[in-house]
Amino acid sequence: MNIFERVKKIVADILDIEEQKILSWTYLIRELGAESIDLLELAVSLNAGFQIEIRDDDIFLRKLRRYLEEAKEKGLDQHSYLAGQYPFLSNSRIGEILKELKGGPVLTIEDLVSYISYYQNK
Amino acid sequence: MRLCFSGANALVLGGSADLGLELAGLLIQEKIFPLLTFRNKAGEEKIHENLKSYQGLYQVAYCDFGKKETIESLFEKVNHRLDYMIDIAHGDFERLVCSADSSDVDAYFSENISARAEIIQRTGRAMLCNQKGRMIFISSAAVEKPNPGQGFYAASKLAAEALYRNVGLEFRDRGITAIILRPGYIDAGRGRRYLQSRQLLSSDGVEKNKILTTKEMAETILFFLSDSAAGFTTSAITIGEHLKKIE
Repeated sequence: MNIFERVKKIVADILDIEEQKILSWTYLIRELGAESIDLLELAVSLNAGFQIEIRDDDIFLRKLRRYLEEAKEKGLDQHSYLAGQYPFLSNSRIGEILKELKGGPVLTIEDLVSYISYYQNK
Repeated sequence: MRLCFSGANALVLGGSADLGLELAGLLIQEKIFPLLTFRNKAGEEKIHENLKSYQGLYQVAYCDFGKKETIESLFEKVNHRLDYMIDIAHGDFERLVCSADSSDVDAYFSENISARAEIIQRTGRAMLCNQKGRMIFISSAAVEKPNPGQGFYAASKLAAEALYRNVGLEFRDRGITAIILRPGYIDAGRGRRYLQSRQLLSSDGVEKNKILTTKEMAETILFFLSDSAAGFTTSAITIGEHLKKIE
């Protein structure tokens, strides 16, 4: 089973939803309704399942808006600033995130997969 | 009444305290494997001396709330195998509020609140893996019955109580519960020293029959760990003949 399949199964178990409803671009909070306690449980399960350290703030992009504010205050390019804070996200994904901000929480299943994949290989 | 326990592993913070040792014996008799923490060589030796008849049935771990790395290594030892956590550890700091050195206050709160928050966090995450767990924080009746010199002690106990209450609330749908016990005077450790210093172990002020023994307190904790007491969560229970109260 690849990383995406494993993450999908874990998310489905925690949120008690069918795996078919979860696609790589599905929004975890915006669409699946994950709450803080679900994210905490998810972090613990991912840590146990993949044997890597899960930093909740990073994997769930919790400080995203604060980083954007920081970049603005420091007069830095927001895209580059986010790339520095979230090295596991691709440039194209950061571009998407910047466009999606107004729609609500941007975290997707694929972001979780990217985090795991990046830190597993590090 | 026969108590039943659905868990098999317990972490006892402050395992070298008289109460921790008494409790460890009871846990072992109930086939629960305790991991007892100590913060110096004397504490480690005291554990082994007191539990020598239970060799192989318990484990010890060094944990000093003032040293973050020891918390990390403690939880490597725990390795998600955690059904119960009993928090007896607490630093002593008896000063009048306006006479304490501010750096001592910082260090005291850092060890007894911030470090404890990290331990609660790690405990909660370990228990979340198994979707079950029970935390018991041994607070003190001092939080509701102020005494000169105990302001910092009571403040840190109250802060810790708030953390435990919240974790019990946040995890209540995940099979993890937390309760707080506030014993009055216990004839052990800090309580014994306090009572002796004020000559209260005789008949003055506090009568002998109103002082909890270590055994009584350990048995009380054991009851609250049992499946029979699973309904109690986020409660603070005051214990002592003269201090009966449940919040």
